[in-house]
Amino acid sequence: MAHMVTVDAMGEQCPIPVVKATKAIGELAGPATVEVHVDNETAVQNLLRMAAGKGFAARSQQAEPRHFVVTIEADRPVEPSDEPVACLPDLRGDIVVAVGSAAMGTGSDELGKTLMKGFLYAVSQQEQLPRTILFFNGGAYLTTEGSASLEDLRTMEAQGVEILTCGTCLDFYGLKEKLAVGGVTNMYAIVEKLTRAAKVIRP
Amino acid sequence: MREKHLRVILTFHTTTDAMAMEACCTEKGISGRLIPVPTVITAGCGLCWSAPPEEQEAALFAAKTAGIPVAGVYQMMI
Repeated sequence: MAHMVTVDAMGEQCPIPVVKATKAIGELAGPATVEVHVDNETAVQNLLRMAAGKGFAARSQQAEPRHFVVTIEADRPVEPSDEPVACLPDLRGDIVVAVGSAAMGTGSDELGKTLMKGFLYAVSQQEQLPRTILFFNGGAYLTTEGSASLEDLRTMEAQGVEILTCGTCLDFYGLKEKLAVGGVTNMYAIVEKLTRAAKVIRP
Repeated sequence: MREKHLRVILTFHTTTDAMAMEACCTEKGISGRLIPVPTVITAGCGLCWSAPPEEQEAALFAAKTAGIPVAGVYQMMI
């Protein structure tokens, strides 16, 4: 098993987490897994960008609401660099995606479900992720056990995207115990998220 | 931005073929998923089958035996 190095950057704002992680990687004597603990999404995004820039595989995971773990597989040594640490602001746009059905569009439900899977995958691939994704009515099927979109939604949640499903809807469809990603919300919060968003996308 | 992996991409002439491929691979337990065709590929319909590279032969064999014509095969980091 590879050597494990932990970097605590909780409470630190960019560029400090990137500086600490870069220093830890620079000091490695051999291949290692570097685990960086941070408490904000901007740091997660900049750490992932730094790792990609060095050609290292990296992933992020949300351990708690304000605790993210970025794991970087530093499989080879890196030359020390004088390049300044590039930190970009939070790339999550003030965008809310509102998903009110398990299918995208009307017509064939079979095609609509396939399109919705493709839509959520494509959202997860964007450089600018939404701030929140709301699921209500039939959309509740997408955040619960058996949904083909769970992996995409978990990937986005790990990067700080808020995933919320309507509690009334989970209850109505008997899915309360089957929620597999994100949290439960109510109509007041849904209305607040939608009215405060700069842009709302409804697939 | 999610971690990129090497994937094999199978494109199809029609959406129905792509959806038939998903049903066929799910039934046979061949890993992979239907995704929108990456923008670097312009051929085929809008959906494609994305699978780990080691599943390429199994996926192509499954398509052939199910009579689903494959339009193109690509390997790329996505």
